[in-house]
Amino acid sequence: MKSTKFSPMTQEQIDKKWWEIGNYFRRNSLWMLMYCTGCCAIELPPAMTSAYDMERLGMGPMATPRQADVLLVTGYLSLKTLRRLIYTYEQMSEPKYVVGFGSCTINGGIYHDSHAVINKLDQYIPVDVYVAGCMPNTEAVMNGFTDLMGMIKNKTARGWLDYKERNDWYKKNQLDSLGEVLVHDEFHE
Amino acid sequence: MMNSMNNVEFLNELVNSKFNVVKTEIINAEQMSFIVDSRDVHTLLTLLKTSGWKQLSYLSAIDWIKEDEFELVYIVFNWDRPVHIQVRTRIKRDRENASFETIIPIYPGAKYYEREVHEFFGIKFPGNPDFHKQLILENWDDMPPLLKDFDPRAYSDSHFEKRDYPEKHINLNNQESKQEKRQKRNLKSLLLRNGGKK
Ligand code: SF4
Repeated sequence: MKSTKFSPMTQEQIDKKWWEIGNYFRRNSLWMLMYCTGCCAIELPPAMTSAYDMERLGMGPMATPRQADVLLVTGYLSLKTLRRLIYTYEQMSEPKYVVGFGSCTINGGIYHDSHAVINKLDQYIPVDVYVAGCMPNTEAVMNGFTDLMGMIKNKTARGWLDYKERNDWYKKNQLDSLGEVLVHDEFHE
Repeated sequence: MMNSMNNVEFLNELVNSKFNVVKTEIINAEQMSFIVDSRDVHTLLTLLKTSGWKQLSYLSAIDWIKEDEFELVYIVFNWDRPVHIQVRTRIKRDRENASFETIIPIYPGAKYYEREVHEFFGIKFPGNPDFHKQLILENWDDMPPLLKDFDPRAYSDSHFEKRDYPEKHINLNNQESKQEKRQKRNLKSLLLRNGGKK
């Protein structure tokens, strides 16, 4: 018998509702994986400790990529670190978000003409939020995190979907700059 | 206990009595540098190691492109007499065949430093079984990057995508500059901090 009060929802609508519920909890409890590549990482200790206390936003550090939601890329990335970063990013479980810190991830910053570091992070992995500055102020970092939460709420933090949709494009860029993404070195083989 | 000046004098005596040092430099009480002929490096390092300088802290190189020479800098350290010693020597700058005998028999840890120098300057170290292996740069496809005639900007331009800045980012929607307002506000907050006076 059909209920007169509620019209039944399609599976799609039900999924969407569950995603909304999931997003609510997700954005209020973000576990971050800190890939502290550059000097911008020094902004994290004040953000995490009593000065700004990011735990009041519900954010905490996480030790492994598989359990983390947010990947923080704090600063310049050499080709070597980029390889490891792509590994790490691909290991994270979905949905996953990326925050890029500092001008180094945006346009290369003071290392824009270096032979060793890449210039534009969103060429290789999708970035949801950039925090500008060299290094960014801790307030800016906190602001970036609240922006990310807002984006999760508005469903605009779609980087991980983009990575699936345009995977060929990202892979091509990775290969263009890196030659090969797989890591070969004597210490791991 | 010996004080550190004694250490420097001791070293000066030790090295200069046995070697034909091109130049001795006393940088301060904890640092000395000896410039020697490239043939003397191995014997000098052996002497220093047997005298207690048993840690190889670093091996670096300098590219003197105008003089057509590479300079190798060995830095050794002693835990009983706290003096860092730099042993400097120059070899011919030959892009393809510059080479220098390894010091692995004296300092086994030099293995990795020599690989690094080979990677960044292209100097070969015969006697080191894997000096040619990659260590820091992965899949490097150009000339050694710390040579002075390497152009990092050209390499970066050709390998890494740059961000384009369309003009509208510079002056968004023809807004006028807020610089003056900002300065006034800063001044005011400064005044307030000083108690509103002056
Ligand atoms: S943006 Fe500045 S502070 Fe951040 S990693 Fe780059 S150079 Fe360091």
